[in-house]
Amino acid sequence: MLGQLERPGRAVIADFEAGLGTVLRMDGRPVDVVVVVVEPTAKSLEVGRRAADAVREGGLGRVVVTANRVRDDDDVARVRAAFPGLDPVLVPDEPAIVAAERRGEAPLDAAADSPGVRALVQLAESLLPGRG
Amino acid sequence: MRVAFVGKGGAGKSSLAGTFARVLAAAGEQVLVLDSDPMPGLALSLGVPSVDTGLPDDAVEEYQEGGRRRYRLRSGLTGQGAVEQYAVAGPDGVRFLQLGKARGPRWDNSRPHWAFQRVLDDLPGDDWSIVGDLPGGTRQPFMTWGRYARTYLVVVEPTPASLLSGRRLARLAASRGTPQVLAVANKMRQPDDPDRVAAGTGLDVLGAVPFDPAVAEADRQGRALLDAEPAAPAVAAVRSLVEALRSREAPS
Repeated sequence: MLGQLERPGRAVIADFEAGLGTVLRMDGRPVDVVVVVVEPTAKSLEVGRRAADAVREGGLGRVVVTANRVRDDDDVARVRAAFPGLDPVLVPDEPAIVAAERRGEAPLDAAADSPGVRALVQLAESLLPGRG
Repeated sequence: MRVAFVGKGGAGKSSLAGTFARVLAAAGEQVLVLDSDPMPGLALSLGVPSVDTGLPDDAVEEYQEGGRRRYRLRSGLTGQGAVEQYAVAGPDGVRFLQLGKARGPRWDNSRPHWAFQRVLDDLPGDDWSIVGDLPGGTRQPFMTWGRYARTYLVVVEPTPASLLSGRRLARLAASRGTPQVLAVANKMRQPDDPDRVAAGTGLDVLGAVPFDPAVAEADRQGRALLDAEPAAPAVAAVRSLVEALRSREAPS
């Protein structure tokens, strides 16, 4: 399905289920970019590292690592060490996003000016054709 | 006690399952922990040093059935034998058996998948407690991977997305004929959060685990919560979960 959705001027964003199941079943090159979302925890970084390796080895698309809930310099160091050379996008731990999730609101509606949402806006803009 | 933890990805299943199993084991029970999630995670929450210890390839043999390729445990190896031979020993005496961890593009999990299923058909008896951690989402709960469980614990955060997932998982778990499906309200921040979980999932809430920065810190360090912060409020809450489930399972 992903391979058949492409149209000029259309952006398709797919949110895959947790883990590697869907990524490992992708055939060919149905996507331009795989955004690997991790948290700065040992288990999440390990899963993310395997996902990034699988995407690269399979030639499934460009890998962009996005680290969510980043609190401090230790977190930044942990993320960068797990993905050398990949320059991860860093999304700070953001009470406003947690509060929005509890209310069932989109972070962009609830806290557009928060650092966390601004980081995501920059990520989206960087993925537009010609920007990456 | 035979328990399977299910829930939306990120709800905290592995952290709770690992701590729950350790609490049971520290109380002197024989505990087998089953990890059917092909992602690393439960090993760290349990305090087992290796994250990749699935059934080895030579535990499995291929055979043909109706012209189709099938897999089974190798001749002479029973499910209980596989547990004795391949389950890793962990802290407090827990034994830990993994499906095996996904590796590489288009990872073929046929062999470990079938072998793990055969182990589920022949688990140790009632002198063992079994604690399972199923992957986030609905696929495995729907496909009988938690069929050993007498209780499904649906781990739910007080967010609309997690409540919705919890409600769906509750229906799936109930449709498997599981005797007991209960919610665990996790990452609670407000006094009425457990009520939100009960109302949102339609389930009885076995217990509530508070939002506890110690859990996130242990996760960051890749350590078991029970080792990193044994006095954490979340550990106390898991102890209460164990007691609450014991009370429910005790003959009346």
